[in-house]
Amino acid sequence: MKVLVAVKRVVDYNVKVRVKADGSDVDIANVKMSMNPFDEIAVEEAVRLKEAGKATEIVAVSMGVKQCEETLRTALAMGADRAILVETDAELQPLAVAKLLKEVVAKEQPQLVIVGKQAIDDDSNQTGQMLSALLGWAQGTFASKVDLADASVDVTREVDGGLETVKLKLPAVVTTDLRLNEPRYVKLPNIMAAKKKPLDKTTPADLGVDVTPRLKTLKVAEPAKRSAGVKVASAAELVAKLKNEAKVL
Amino acid sequence: MLEPRQIQQLHSLLETQRVATDVATLQSHGLDWTRYYTPAPAAVVFPKTTEEVAALVRWATQEKVALVPSGGRTGLSGGAVATQGEVVVSFDRMNAILDFNPVDRTVRCQAGVVTAQLQDFAADQGLYYPVDFASSGSSQIGGNIATNAGGIKVVRYGMTREWVAGLKVVTGTGEVLELNQGLAKNNTGYDFRHLFIGSEGTLGFIVEATMQLTRPPAPLSVMVLAVPALAGIMEVFNAFRQRLDLTAFEFFSEKALRHVLARGQVQRPFEGESDYYVLLEFECVNSTTEETALSLFEECMEAGWLVDGVLSQSEEQARALWRLREDISESITPYRPYKNDIAVRVSAVPPFVEALDAVLAREYPDFEVVWFGHIGDGNLHINVLKPDALALDGFREACERVNAEVFALVRRFGGSMSAEHGVGLLKRDYLDVTRSPEDIALMRGVKAVFDPLGIMNPGKLLA
Ligand SMILES: Cc1cc2nc3c(=O)[nH]c(=O)nc-3n(C[C@H](O)[C@H](O)[C@H](O)COP(=O)(O)OP(=O)(O)OC[C@H]3O[C@@H](n4cnc5c(N)ncnc54)[C@H](O)[C@@H]3O)c2cc1C
Ligand SMILES: Cc1cc2nc3c(=O)[nH]c(=O)nc-3n(C[C@H](O)[C@H](O)[C@H](O)COP(=O)(O)OP(=O)(O)OC[C@H]3O[C@@H](n4cnc5c(N)ncnc54)[C@H](O)[C@@H]3O)c2cc1C
Repeated sequence: MKVLVAVKRVVDYNVKVRVKADGSDVDIANVKMSMNPFDEIAVEEAVRLKEAGKATEIVAVSMGVKQCEETLRTALAMGADRAILVETDAELQPLAVAKLLKEVVAKEQPQLVIVGKQAIDDDSNQTGQMLSALLGWAQGTFASKVDLADASVDVTREVDGGLETVKLKLPAVVTTDLRLNEPRYVKLPNIMAAKKKPLDKTTPADLGVDVTPRLKTLKVAEPAKRSAGVKVASAAELVAKLKNEAKVL
Repeated sequence: MLEPRQIQQLHSLLETQRVATDVATLQSHGLDWTRYYTPAPAAVVFPKTTEEVAALVRWATQEKVALVPSGGRTGLSGGAVATQGEVVVSFDRMNAILDFNPVDRTVRCQAGVVTAQLQDFAADQGLYYPVDFASSGSSQIGGNIATNAGGIKVVRYGMTREWVAGLKVVTGTGEVLELNQGLAKNNTGYDFRHLFIGSEGTLGFIVEATMQLTRPPAPLSVMVLAVPALAGIMEVFNAFRQRLDLTAFEFFSEKALRHVLARGQVQRPFEGESDYYVLLEFECVNSTTEETALSLFEECMEAGWLVDGVLSQSEEQARALWRLREDISESITPYRPYKNDIAVRVSAVPPFVEALDAVLAREYPDFEVVWFGHIGDGNLHINVLKPDALALDGFREACERVNAEVFALVRRFGGSMSAEHGVGLLKRDYLDVTRSPEDIALMRGVKAVFDPLGIMNPGKLLA
């Protein structure tokens, strides 16, 4: 069974981002970029499926600038077999990404698509759901466990009240949550081997997708600074402050 | 013990609530990270200003009371320890960052500023304070300077000494000195700044420091490599530093790794065990840096020095890989490790480790010995763990015998018996392993100049 995973190149989770002076966006010049952590989990899950003999081929897809190749090389080093870069310098919003993925799916015909539940830069949480709607496939979102059978997949989801398990008919779209697995480190010999694995390039135009953004960012602002803590002299004063100032009681 | 009159005098020098004589404070502030001594200070005082520190020293000289400077109390050599009725002078309340000069790239801060606080402050200015180690969340700049702390970035950035552009100190007679005023160049005779760096509180108090900052490094990548034989470690070091700007080169043994993994917080870097591991970190300046690193790995692998390795793909992974090395110290704390922190010339590390390993295995087969360290600086931390069956006293006695063996080897290799933790009380009686009698006599002479009455941290460093 062929599995397709989507991987996004994002500002590293540990980077303290700064807003550009004109408030148009965050400044990503000279900032460490890495694979979206949820996508790392997606790749790891696919590799485990392959190691368990359930998946036969893993194709990693990324959409964006040329440097996304590095992200794809990481996926290949983790264990993906092939990579596809849909190269564009345009801003990509979730709907455009879902449409691009749909076209890649049409070409590759995977039985399972695994994507992160969200990307940590824009936090949209939309791509997987939009893709499943565009394809008319079943979706299992926020997966904390994936059990793959021949014609179906059981996905355990983290929901408010606890865990819910859904059975999806294949082909299906699964989005990963944090507890699905712990991604492996990338071994140096595998990084070298990954250089020889195929990485094909295409473009939105080749795929016939118009990626023009539908949403406009009006303004990006720093979060409000946390004000310093205060010491209170008594429990009574604390209660008073919580009531009158914090208004949480 | 202090007389009530003397406590009264302390109250008149400082606000009453900044003179502590309660058991909890005496216990907590009478000790550093070593757990071998019974704290017994007479009082703990918390000055807020240089004037208060100077007044305390003048009082101590009049009353012939010994003073123990106390920082973050993370020291590993029993420097900030009060066992004989001393007054502990804590810098917990002198923790203000006073001044920042973006052109000089210097920060003037009080001695009690916590190392991590300075690191964060630097980062907020788009700059970098590069001295770093596992205790930086608690240790203070004053303590770092007094011990000339090293840490995990010494290969690239040197010890704390390199970053001290100026000091304000109060000597053992209560004189206040401004040392070097933040100047980059100042050839006007003896540089007392460098005497206070590493003086372990025996010459006077460091009350303020002007610290140099630098530009932050490019994104850092971390490799953890499996090295099957000791001899390969230095070959790997040589190969990598020839072509990359290494910011760290650390080493640990499989035994050390197992203790970290046993806590269940981090995963093994790769399948399969190796007797030794190396963690190296480098600046990823541009896309060719990683290519260089990969080809170095390949070359070292072909030479048989390495058998496996991983490369961090994100900052998160880099941090997780660092924990394999940085969590060792904490993970073995429950075993009451007897610590040695020795250094030999980098080239002498493999034969030294081999010789020592042989001695330990022969003489102390039931002791578990955990190795790790800043091997790129020739610095090894040797930790002997207490076997459950042995009582603490018996264990310590046995360790002192181990020490004799360790230090005989250190002497033979021309090494240092304390690479970065200092001497304090713990290693005082071994000073002659590294320093000649003439050396030590001159050290006493220097101490007598700055602290003629011997009130500053007596019994530490020099007997
Ligand atoms: C987990 C762990 C990891 C560590 N890793 C490293 C490492 O990698 N490298 C390294 O070098 N050290 C390391 N250390 C040791 C320790 O953190 C350093 O020596 C640190 O610099 C001590 O700072 P402190 O403020 O805690 O000093 P303290 O322990 O409070 O004092 C240390 C000495 O300095 C004196 N002193 C303190 N403040 C002043 C002052 N204002 N004026 C004059 N004298 C003063 C004290 O009297 C004492 O002699 C480690 C410790 C721990 C617990
Ligand atoms: C054209 C010119 C350009 C210069 N540019 C610079 C510059 O850019 N930067 C700079 O720092 N200086 C500069 N200098 C000054 C001088 O060259 C340096 O100070 C140099 O280090 C002196 O070395 P020397 O061997 O000539 O010492 P000397 O002039 O012979 O002695 C200098 C001092 O060192 C002592 N001394 C010499 N040898 C020993 C020893 N073996 N043990 C103990 N004490 C000793 C002497 O007693 C004396 O006090 C310059 C000088 C000239 C003429």
